Amino acid sequence: MTAPPKGRPILLETERFALRSLKPSDASERWQNWAKDPEVMGPLNARTREMSREYLANYASSFDNNNRYLIGIFEKAKGLHIGFFIVEVDHAHRVATFNVVVGDKTWWGKAVVNEARAALLDEFFDKRGIEKACGVPLTRNFPAVLNYKAQGWRHEGTLHGQRLSSADGSRLDQYQFGLLRDEWHRIRTRGRNDEA
Amino acid sequence: MTKHSSARQFLADAIHADVADIPHDARIGSFARWDSLAHMHLLLSIERHLGRQLKPDEAVQIESLADVTALVEKNARTNV
Repeated sequence: MTAPPKGRPILLETERFALRSLKPSDASERWQNWAKDPEVMGPLNARTREMSREYLANYASSFDNNNRYLIGIFEKAKGLHIGFFIVEVDHAHRVATFNVVVGDKTWWGKAVVNEARAALLDEFFDKRGIEKACGVPLTRNFPAVLNYKAQGWRHEGTLHGQRLSSADGSRLDQYQFGLLRDEWHRIRTRGRNDEA
Repeated sequence: MTKHSSARQFLADAIHADVADIPHDARIGSFARWDSLAHMHLLLSIERHLGRQLKPDEAVQIESLADVTALVEKNARTNV
């Protein structure tokens, strides 16, 4: 079986952040620490665990920048890696599903997600053929829900009992948020007019 | 204290501000200090006030102070 074709890596900048596809060499102690921090992993329903650098390097290399992207968020002032997006693309339907982790807690509450995600939405909608973006946060992940709403995503529904809790085996609810390309362009235009 | 000033108090507490600093028409996206962490503190504070977890369909509808007021009033009516 041949590996899927690799796509163009992401390389973007916002006012405060650099966004780029992660490479095996980005595996670091910082990233390892996020994986074992319940405050970081809990809202994502991900088990905390020790991950070796080798594991993280292999994980980074499993993304192809075509169907699956692993995109690091780096603050520009010091170049520190502070989090990452995972974007999964359904090319047949031109839909991309976004997930995000801000691992560096000193950046929580500082509007990292929406600044970075705005640049990614521009990239995926305008340069990578995507027509709809989706996000599926757990309903108890209140900060993530705020970010979707503040950015203009639409709540499309609630998926009851959609996930099995990694903590206690109970069933967890998720929201589905969506954003069409045209809607994003209208939000962008309105923002520019508001700033004018 | 009116229900609406109570909603302002919830948000003021969430952002560690004086209630006088909270606009009466504060809503997500138009009041910058209503950020992701403030939203978490706000909803947890409402849950403590109600004495129960918010249902997903309740939590997702909270976008403004008016929504907070409506939720608290509805809960008060059902508890009468």
